[in-house]
Amino acid sequence: MLFNSLTFVIFFIVVLLLHNAPFSWRTKKTNLLIGSYIFYAAWNPPFVILLWLSTLVDWRVANMLHLETRQARRRMLLAVSVVVNLGMLGYFKYGGFMLENFQSLMELMGIDYQPPDWSIVLPVGISFYTFQTMAYSMDVYLRRAAPAKSFLDFALFVTFFPQLVAGPIVRPTQLIPQFRLPKVATRQQLTWGFALITLGLFNKIVIADGLLSQAAEKVFGSSEMLHPLDAWLGTLAFSGQIFCDFAGYSTTAIGVALCLGFSLPDNFRFPYAAVGFSDFWRRWHISLSSWLRDYLYIPLGGNRKGNLRTYANLMTTMMLGGLWHGASWTFVVWGALHGGFLAAERWLAAHFGGGTFWKRWAPRLLLALLTYFLVNITWVFFRAQDFATAWRMIDTMLTFNMDGKKVLPMIEVMLVTGVTVAMLAIHWFMRNRYLHDVATALPRWLLACIWGVMLWLIIITQGQSSAFIYFQF
Amino acid sequence: MSVQKAEPVFERPVPSMGASGWLAVLVLVLLMVAWETWVRNEGVTPSYRNSDGQWAEQRRRINHGEGDAWVFAGSSRVLTNMQLAVWERLDKRRPLQLALEGTSPVAVMEGLADDDSFTGKLIVGVAPGLFFSGYELRASAISRYQEESPTQWFGDQVSMLVEPYLAFYDNDFAFPVILRRQPVPARDDVIFDLDVRKLFNTERDRNSRVWDKLVYDQNYRELFRKIWAQNWTPLAELPPPVQEKILESRQKQLDKAIAATKKLQARGVEVIFVQMPYEGHYATSEVDIAPRELTWDVLLEQTGALGLHFKDYEEMQGYRLPEWSHMTGEEADRFTEAIYGLVQRELAARKAAGGNS
Repeated sequence: MLFNSLTFVIFFIVVLLLHNAPFSWRTKKTNLLIGSYIFYAAWNPPFVILLWLSTLVDWRVANMLHLETRQARRRMLLAVSVVVNLGMLGYFKYGGFMLENFQSLMELMGIDYQPPDWSIVLPVGISFYTFQTMAYSMDVYLRRAAPAKSFLDFALFVTFFPQLVAGPIVRPTQLIPQFRLPKVATRQQLTWGFALITLGLFNKIVIADGLLSQAAEKVFGSSEMLHPLDAWLGTLAFSGQIFCDFAGYSTTAIGVALCLGFSLPDNFRFPYAAVGFSDFWRRWHISLSSWLRDYLYIPLGGNRKGNLRTYANLMTTMMLGGLWHGASWTFVVWGALHGGFLAAERWLAAHFGGGTFWKRWAPRLLLALLTYFLVNITWVFFRAQDFATAWRMIDTMLTFNMDGKKVLPMIEVMLVTGVTVAMLAIHWFMRNRYLHDVATALPRWLLACIWGVMLWLIIITQGQSSAFIYFQF
Repeated sequence: MSVQKAEPVFERPVPSMGASGWLAVLVLVLLMVAWETWVRNEGVTPSYRNSDGQWAEQRRRINHGEGDAWVFAGSSRVLTNMQLAVWERLDKRRPLQLALEGTSPVAVMEGLADDDSFTGKLIVGVAPGLFFSGYELRASAISRYQEESPTQWFGDQVSMLVEPYLAFYDNDFAFPVILRRQPVPARDDVIFDLDVRKLFNTERDRNSRVWDKLVYDQNYRELFRKIWAQNWTPLAELPPPVQEKILESRQKQLDKAIAATKKLQARGVEVIFVQMPYEGHYATSEVDIAPRELTWDVLLEQTGALGLHFKDYEEMQGYRLPEWSHMTGEEADRFTEAIYGLVQRELAARKAAGGNS
């Protein structure tokens, strides 16, 4: 079920009514759990079985891990969780990719291997909930947390519909304790929850789908060498589109949860105002970057085993993070570029980062723009359907070859430029601020007008209930 | 056994917003009233959105006990020119409207050919430029029928509850659509196609009638003619690789249509091809891209199906086509009545002659 659909509007009204009805807390949680399964099954009912499998395996594994003291057996139990979760992910998401690569490898060796047809539908959100349940087992393994006391609480943690299919990837310690005591949103929470839902849907429906997607599709769908302005505008359009799409989803999810009385962590903090790549990853898809840090980068040794190993760990983490987004080498390159930039930044900071110069306003703005420029270069690999398209785009973007074809009409040029400038200004203004502080500071009539206009634009944009980009991951 | 102390549970800070929410609703209501009023002043009357879900719903009727009905397939000419109410009055049964604007009906024919629950009669509109190009503006409707999820079905049902009451809730008046139609200077060397505007109103079962604005607003009519004729180049003047591609596609569509027709006929389904009237730019372009003797005649010859070409029958001539291609509502009523009679007459004649019927 998509947040930007009429089905969700009806679904959410029913869930809200049930959640505020005079039922016991256990009944309300059961309602939420059933509602979450309906939310997931509304897309493709059989795939609920995968959700159940992941829930049952990690519930059982974590309970056994908690009681077990023998290290070898504990390792084996953890391996069960990892194998089941990554196995599902591997089968559905990476099976075709692995077969393709195996075929290419065989070809290199002169062996004609024809792989079987691998047309398997990717269960929506599988990358998110498998990471979430694995985190649960790993936390119990690492003794960071005790297992949930109630199966209902754990099942709801895995399935909680606001963040089930596209995050934020919530840690067990962040959500399970919230299920212990009765929770109904206060009036203030409900109002702010609706405001966040409005902001999230505005980002998705009006900005990402309504204003930016056409330019990005036109540019990345072209098979010709493009004029540099078009290549840049297409990339900037995608840059804005993916932020508004994904941050829009997260903001809506946070708002939906808040309307029910639950607090989900932030997933984005105005990332296009980031000064450097480590800052970027503290602002972009925070729940994934912190997951990768805690469950991959640190276990690999983090920065504790010397410089060379630190750089290698950064690269490995980011390349796997890239692969998490999709079964394609273009995603691996995207991750590798981020890993490379993070490593370069670390080296530069160690050698030239001292002094007060870099703390001044102007150099920081320059660094922020440089970061934005480089982030856009990485988006080319993320968005391009193949390397040929990516290289063609990079070529014209960096060489300014003016012979390329112009494909964007003036109105798209104006829309992309306008949205990009406005977005960068907002991100820079909000860089060190919180949305709730700004909302508090604004005159209420102005806040209401902005909110009302956003609602109006959402309705008159008449979105086509298009899926969120991150659903495919 | 020790467990590290868990971090405190995060509680989201919430601003105090007073009555901002209610005030926002008031702002929304005022803006919505103004917007709806503006759209109605543009001449729009509320109608159904002709969504993919609506098409899928009609298509499913074949699988739900109405497989023996008359079915109309084709593109926008069939959609606007074939009036279900008129046909129903004459035939005592309402046909199913499966035509899709801007879309070759060959894929719909193939779907029906593979669907044993369809045993009725099929009228296929042949708009040569579309039919033989394989272009499918609304391919998503067919996918929706094949893959509709429960949530999509439910969403469409809810949407169709409000569609007939809201004029602004029309694809042609969506905010991004209006934004992109603003007069801005053209960019050098960029081909900017005018997109097709609102052409018809749709009813619950997809019966569609041309929007009145085409009749009373000359500028709108002229705009449509400009849209239909834009960027057209005669086939012979196109670069050879493009020509080759078009001819390849034409042959492919012809082969597919013949195969689907034969499959339908083998099951006893009567297939009738119809070329509806066109004039102006289309009088030149349709025959240029798909000359009759190389397409229409071959289709009929290979399938033995009944074919009704407007140039061959007086009953199919003399209708008013405001923008060269589609009939106004009244003209469509008249045309439907005429073609119903013609179909009955020709089928009876073929039966008497022992032809394929």
